[in-house]
Amino acid sequence: MLVFTRRRRETIMIGDGISIEVLRIGRDGVRLGVVAPPEVAVHRKEIYDQIREANQKAAAAPQDLGAVAQRLRQKGA
Amino acid sequence: MARDAVRFPTGLPGFEACRGFVLMQNDVLGPLQLLKAVEGPAASFLVIDPRRVLPEYRCELSQADRHRLGVSDAATLLWLVLVTIELDGTITANLRAPVVINPDRMIGQQVVPHDCVYPLRHVISEGE
Repeated sequence: MLVFTRRRRETIMIGDGISIEVLRIGRDGVRLGVVAPPEVAVHRKEIYDQIREANQKAAAAPQDLGAVAQRLRQKGA
Repeated sequence: MARDAVRFPTGLPGFEACRGFVLMQNDVLGPLQLLKAVEGPAASFLVIDPRRVLPEYRCELSQADRHRLGVSDAATLLWLVLVTIELDGTITANLRAPVVINPDRMIGQQVVPHDCVYPLRHVISEGE
């Protein structure tokens, strides 16, 4: 892992299109500003991990889809 | 890839290699639909229109998401959320990270709107 020391208003560049600037350093956290090309998705890692885990659970489809659909129709969906 | 497949340029989180999906629906499945990978590893997801779960459901797409979906007119987008059947039979929907498809361009993406206030695990129907 590359490790940098950066102060407020200092930036690191990744490739030619991505930059990450330290906007504010507080007691509880560091506020960062990310500039990236539109095709690059930027996520908080813990949220991305939660979604990956949720997707893996969702991918295990049950055997009786008809019964599941029936329950949803009864719920008015 | 199948002619009617929707291209997912980055797959789905956890299924990054699944780059093409077809959306299947029939009378038995309704109101659910099946989002089935036709490129990359085998995977399929039950999905539903989030407004059938929560009529007031509404999320804003970021500028970057609109760009990735090639959106000119947001009104034509198809919004779906992934449905999970948990081990005890509880049915939940992931309202936090909807799948958005642009039918004009046949491009899809699972988005995580930054201002989205909906839960990752919204219970539609309790299990046994």
